[in-house]
Amino acid sequence: MTSSVGTEGQTGGQPLGQQAEFLAEKMAEVRREISKAIVGQAEVVEGVLIALLAGGHVLLEGAPGLGKTMLVRTLAQAVALKYSRIQFTPDLMPADVIGTSVVQENGDGRKSLGFQPGPIFTNLLLADEINRATPKTQSALLEAMQEKQVTVAHTSHLLEEPFFVMATQNPLEMEGTYPLPEAQLDRFLFKLRVPYPGREDLHDILDRTTQGTPAIVSPVVNGTQILEMRKVVRTVPVAPHVQEHVVKLTMATHPENRENLLASKYIRYGSSPRGAQTLILGGKVRALLDGRYNVSMEDIRALMLPALRHRIILNFEAQADGRTPDDLLEEIAGKLCAK
Amino acid sequence: MLLREKIKLVVPGEFSGRACFSALTAFWRRIYSKDHAQPPENQISLARTFDRRASSPELRGLIDTLKTIRRRILANTLLRGWTKWFVWLLIGLIVVAAVSVKLAGALLFAAVLATAGAAAISTWTWRNRPSKYETARRLDSAAGLKDRLSTAIFLGGIEDPDGMVGEQRKDALARFTKVDARGYFPVQSPGNIRRASVLVLVAAGLFAYRIHHKPPLISLLQSTARSQLVQSIFSPIVHAMEKDLQRTMALVTMKPDAAGEETRRDSAASNSEDLWKANDDQGAAQDQNNAADAGDQQQDQMQSPGNQEGDPSGEARQQEINSQSQEGKNANENADGKSQEQSEQQGPEGRQSLGQSLMQALKNMMSNSPNQQSSNRQNQQPPNGQGTPQSGNSQQPGATESDKRGESRGNSDAKQKATQTASEGAGSQQGTKELRKDQETHPVNAVPDRVALEASGFKEQTRMKVATETGTAQLAVRDQSPQQDAVVNGAEQENIPARYRFYVQRYFEHADNGKQ
Repeated sequence: MTSSVGTEGQTGGQPLGQQAEFLAEKMAEVRREISKAIVGQAEVVEGVLIALLAGGHVLLEGAPGLGKTMLVRTLAQAVALKYSRIQFTPDLMPADVIGTSVVQENGDGRKSLGFQPGPIFTNLLLADEINRATPKTQSALLEAMQEKQVTVAHTSHLLEEPFFVMATQNPLEMEGTYPLPEAQLDRFLFKLRVPYPGREDLHDILDRTTQGTPAIVSPVVNGTQILEMRKVVRTVPVAPHVQEHVVKLTMATHPENRENLLASKYIRYGSSPRGAQTLILGGKVRALLDGRYNVSMEDIRALMLPALRHRIILNFEAQADGRTPDDLLEEIAGKLCAK
Repeated sequence: MLLREKIKLVVPGEFSGRACFSALTAFWRRIYSKDHAQPPENQISLARTFDRRASSPELRGLIDTLKTIRRRILANTLLRGWTKWFVWLLIGLIVVAAVSVKLAGALLFAAVLATAGAAAISTWTWRNRPSKYETARRLDSAAGLKDRLSTAIFLGGIEDPDGMVGEQRKDALARFTKVDARGYFPVQSPGNIRRASVLVLVAAGLFAYRIHHKPPLISLLQSTARSQLVQSIFSPIVHAMEKDLQRTMALVTMKPDAAGEETRRDSAASNSEDLWKANDDQGAAQDQNNAADAGDQQQDQMQSPGNQEGDPSGEARQQEINSQSQEGKNANENADGKSQEQSEQQGPEGRQSLGQSLMQALKNMMSNSPNQQSSNRQNQQPPNGQGTPQSGNSQQPGATESDKRGESRGNSDAKQKATQTASEGAGSQQGTKELRKDQETHPVNAVPDRVALEASGFKEQTRMKVATETGTAQLAVRDQSPQQDAVVNGAEQENIPARYRFYVQRYFEHADNGKQ
């Protein structure tokens, strides 16, 4: 049994303990700044921040008008990162995303092919309605999301860190859309569902957006600090029984696992190891945000649905029975805890 | 033997107490090492490895508390296990005291079981005792510490940790001091202690009662069985069951006796009246059971009356048979009468219990069936080389001294039976005479009778060789009442109780004789 225990004393000149406290404080400030523009949606905001600190990407799913784009824009303002938005459409080409080589004329009149970076060269990318683009364009994001680089004309161009993709998709209008392939889905750390606001939240939204001036979000942390925080996150220790629970949970989603009849009945493809990595990394961030220095079982349970719901693919029987990934995961986790 | 081999392995050529001790120690070590070599997914073995780790001095306070908590968990588990075990033992003792007459042995056995069970539970509980890590996990869950303590114990081997491990340890210890850890794990009485107390009281009361009284359950059952209500409820059922059993036994014994009856009937018909008398003398010497069996067999024989009608001597034989069957019946009735007398002798209060009467009825029937089968076997005779039933006479005493008339009569009986079978039991005197004439020149082609009766057991019928010559046999046809035909064929026999078949048979025979 191994554990990701950080033994180095300091990172970035300060003791790790102080850095952890700094991280918790800063993230609390970011939350406060975001809450100036975004009403409610606490779980979504927390998920976005966890993904940002864990170094992953987020897929936001929700009906139009729930503030997905507003959330991304507010976050970009709060963390003082470069922000760009791509509205995905069926006629969008990969070159429109990653950039292309164009003929450029230098000072002495000579012309040469030069790389014109696309909107992907940013810190925080909003891929709005990503499922409206063709798979060809969607796959242009694959390399960028995983390798943090793009290759054009046999030349790889590194993306600037931190690189954080927030994609949105509308679950209602499925006509003329291209569902994201499994490989693309697996690259998202979390899939967050944006719920409708409650009664009080809706009143608050109306008060804020129809009266006075929009709130001004001030930057709290910058990209460098976020990178430092990512290093701190990886030093959080994990107890063996917590890690064992993550492994069991991941394996319980595999239909080949004969011990779990639920998975073999309803799941076509289970979670990849990325799911387990997400759970541990996300658990570490959540522990730090909670003021702890260790991952607990509660962190794993809290992150299970956003981390695994898009990583399991249900079969026809599950669709016929009206089962969703969320209730299947809840049931699997319940059985594991009962054991 | 196994221990000796192990001792030889440890200390070759020596078998002493010291060698025995070292062998046991080695065996224990091997088991212990096997336990720790289990796969990591086994949480208990995984957690137990932490117990052997040296922990940081900072964690001593935590570890001491964890030891106390572990002892309490162990005590609670032991108490729970012991109570559960003693509850079951008490239940067993109560049942034994309510049923069994002897209590000393049961008490001794219960004491041994209690000791052995308690020892086994203690061993099992000690073997599966929670480790420090497991105890820390439980404390985390109980106190809501979010796995802080278990993580600290897991990382407890790191001396003077810096960085995140140190921060985590400080955080865990800081949280640990704020909670009353021992208060979450008190030594508490098991949940089933009330049940155990009630059972102890019940058992004590029952044993005190048993000092001067019989087992209460047995007494209750006996008084219930003797009660008028139970008797009135169960006696019709018992009678009905008895009748059904008798009928079933009669039907069962009827089928395998078919071939034996056939040969017996033929041999009896071919013998002279003197021989029948001799047989009667032999039969009279039989004991009561054999007489009863013979009576039943005669009942079976009476179901195929073809030869009796065709043979003038059949009537005399019939009378003998009747007398034998009467004797058999009387014997049965005597046997039944004895049992009835016994029950009556006990008076209304001393009636036999339900089980005893059932057993008596079963014994009567079981004693009838084997005797009947044995007598059937004695009477059953193999067919001769010609395949005629007459060959059975060779086994009868005085068969060689029989006159020609007797032989011819026997042959005619056999033929008549054959013709009766072919024509479903039909036969007449005229047909018999013609057959006798033919028999002087032609071999008799006998056909086993009661084919229609034994259609289901056709393979068990006695196979007769039938000559393929044409015109060698003539079928005798006689008038026969449809009622008798039905009785002979057995179409209605199954609906007639076995004990009444004889009377029904006789009724039809008398009617037939009256016609003649």
